[in-house]
Amino acid sequence: MRNVGIIGIGYTPVFVSKRKDVNIPEMISEAVDNAFANTGLTAADIDAVVFGNMQTFEGVNLPHLWAADYIASLGKPVMRIATGGTTGMSAFHAGYYHITSGLHDVVMVVTYEKQSEGDSQVGLMGIITPELMAMLSAGIDVTGGSGMGAIGGGSAGGISFQASSYLHHSGAGIEHIDAQAALERRNAAKNPYAHLKDPEATAEKIAQTPMVSWPIRFGHICPTSDGATVAILASEKAAAKIADKVAWVHAVANCASDATTANLIESQITDPAEQMPAIIASRQAYERAGIKDPKREIDYVEIYNGFAHQALMYLEKVGMCEVGEAHKLQEAGELEMSGRMPVNASGGVVSTNAIGTSAMNRVTECALQILGRAGEHQVEKEVHKALAHGWGGLMQYVTITILGDKPKKG
Amino acid sequence: MMEETRIVQGTWDISTFKFRIEGVGLRRMLENMKEGKLVGTKCHQCGMVYLPGPFYCRKCHIEINEPAEVSDHGEIMTFTIGYADVRGNPLEEPRIAPVVKMDGCDSWIMGVLQGVKPEEVHVGMRVKVQWAENLTGSLQDMQYFVPE
Repeated sequence: MRNVGIIGIGYTPVFVSKRKDVNIPEMISEAVDNAFANTGLTAADIDAVVFGNMQTFEGVNLPHLWAADYIASLGKPVMRIATGGTTGMSAFHAGYYHITSGLHDVVMVVTYEKQSEGDSQVGLMGIITPELMAMLSAGIDVTGGSGMGAIGGGSAGGISFQASSYLHHSGAGIEHIDAQAALERRNAAKNPYAHLKDPEATAEKIAQTPMVSWPIRFGHICPTSDGATVAILASEKAAAKIADKVAWVHAVANCASDATTANLIESQITDPAEQMPAIIASRQAYERAGIKDPKREIDYVEIYNGFAHQALMYLEKVGMCEVGEAHKLQEAGELEMSGRMPVNASGGVVSTNAIGTSAMNRVTECALQILGRAGEHQVEKEVHKALAHGWGGLMQYVTITILGDKPKKG
Repeated sequence: MMEETRIVQGTWDISTFKFRIEGVGLRRMLENMKEGKLVGTKCHQCGMVYLPGPFYCRKCHIEINEPAEVSDHGEIMTFTIGYADVRGNPLEEPRIAPVVKMDGCDSWIMGVLQGVKPEEVHVGMRVKVQWAENLTGSLQDMQYFVPE
């Protein structure tokens, strides 16, 4: 396997609720241009393109082909990836495979979501439509008043079962979810590419937002954002010629499980807070990266948390701390940008969620921390190795990427 | 801090979708609910009991078709409390929605819990099914859960 590094990153100038001034390809091209401007590369340097966005959200079936000339892919291999919330990191992994396999030397990974042009709730409903139809025919009460009709609406409804179980098993309280949301919205205020920013956010302020589905409050939930992110990857040989500073890929891994809460028709066999895929994928990634003690060797973590509690839950699942310890680290201030285990200095997905980019941004934000180019949200400690986590599907799919400041040995 | 938006409009013609996924396990469960019984499907290899059941064991990946009656008593594995109906209107009383593992069953089912205050519900709480007066072989037969 050949070493692969991130040699360039591009973002749209902003991640916001509605980009009314551009259409989908125009918005994507802003991130492509930004990546070219940051690296001095041009379309001629790119061997192949991987494209990722969430299926169904904008109702555009072939965005990678609509945008072909906007993503510098004319006459080049193109592959679209869609795995749900994890799409951005799956696309990144595909870019990695393109190069580590020896097929290509320089690959551009393009991810986007323009949620203002679609309806993400309809998109999410589409995920469970067949099961819902079957349950309706079996007499389910769609208003949720009785029988097995207590369906939580969309992602927030399902996720509340996860949060509830997580709180029970970890000993954390809803106040820790409030505090995590506040911490990340404060971090977001320092990130020019974040969406919901609040430099004055506090747990008390978050606690005043309406309860949506216990224990999840409005303030715990990600926004829907418009934005695009691009990463340019290169082989070690190509990087030596065309890049100055590189964040190196040390390992990629992914793992799936069963559909948990959303599997109405064949029943649920897994606790949505168990998250076995996160445990399996992170352990595989550590092995591939030669990491023996992640708590000591990983300096920085970006967790995909569409909902604030997930930052705490996944820190435990990926082995950055023991079960029941994450909220204690939070209380001690260790998860802050100045702490010993900084997490989501970017503001996390809970602050910015253009879904196709969300798992990708976990990787690019880890890269910026390693390169020392995160600007105002650069963490205080030195970052040599970082872990990026992606989450999606029907609760049951996790992607992991480990980056380092030096090429991986062996 | 942030603008809260809520839009509810339009119609969605769900009859457009024609899925064929009425499972053998769900059919068996509904048939037995007419007798006020919960019958799932057991894997003859690993012993896993599903309610309702798939036609294959999701762990062993082999075909299964052995009926297994499970108790109508069980334990809350996780839960949420809803404050609005599906149209987003506030509910008069918060609605408790537990996910319950019935005794003798390995999978979990969702439902509604009544007869308990929201602040009293907890993971591990014992509950039982409140059956409807007239059983018709519909998921509505299992009206809601109540504390044991």
